[in-house]
Amino acid sequence: MPVERDELLRILGAFESEGLDYVLIGAAAMGFQGLIRATEDLDVLIKATPENVQRLRRALGAAYGEDPSIDDILESDLLGDYPVVRYYPPSGDLFVAVMTRLGEVARFETVEAEVKEVEGIRVKVATPAALYRLKKDTMRPLDRQDAAALRERFKLRYE
Amino acid sequence: MPVRKFRSIKEMNAAPLPAAPADAFDRFVRHCARYRKISARRYPRGVFKFRTIAEAQRARASVGSGSDRRESL
Repeated sequence: MPVERDELLRILGAFESEGLDYVLIGAAAMGFQGLIRATEDLDVLIKATPENVQRLRRALGAAYGEDPSIDDILESDLLGDYPVVRYYPPSGDLFVAVMTRLGEVARFETVEAEVKEVEGIRVKVATPAALYRLKKDTMRPLDRQDAAALRERFKLRYE
Repeated sequence: MPVRKFRSIKEMNAAPLPAAPADAFDRFVRHCARYRKISARRYPRGVFKFRTIAEAQRARASVGSGSDRRESL
């Protein structure tokens, strides 16, 4: 099995074990919903509370053998002026993009999610409609293409 | 939709492919692994912080921006 699979499962399992309040968005979420495109990252929107950021640190620590750089993921940043934090682990090909808000568009509480299960791990994934809403009005061509694919696949109405 | 047409390879590579829900996760993982083999990039390690999504996307696009770099994933 590819390393990426184990790595993904390890991270998602750690999120569940630590009780992280999160929702998967981006290409990985699209993959869970049955629309496949390649990506290098795991986009995670988390609930913006100090306790939840602590859970995030514990989960990443469990997944990546207590990498000391994880201590740089701070409540004061994610709840303050830096709502987007990228974590590039010491090994592996995957990186994790953690967000507490997406501009004025979305935060954890406003993104509808559903639970998918893979190898006994419960994964909180944005619904197709929620993914569509996140992507449809962005500037990046890739996101617009994703939005069009989501709309077609899930017969979503343009809002 | 048995035939799909694209204006460029870039457009084709970025186009999402439908998959059955039962094996969507494994197809997603295999697709990522395949793509990484032909479009490997090395990123600096650690934690990086951004004020906006746009700022984060710009920073990511600047990594490994050689002539062989592909469209941001």
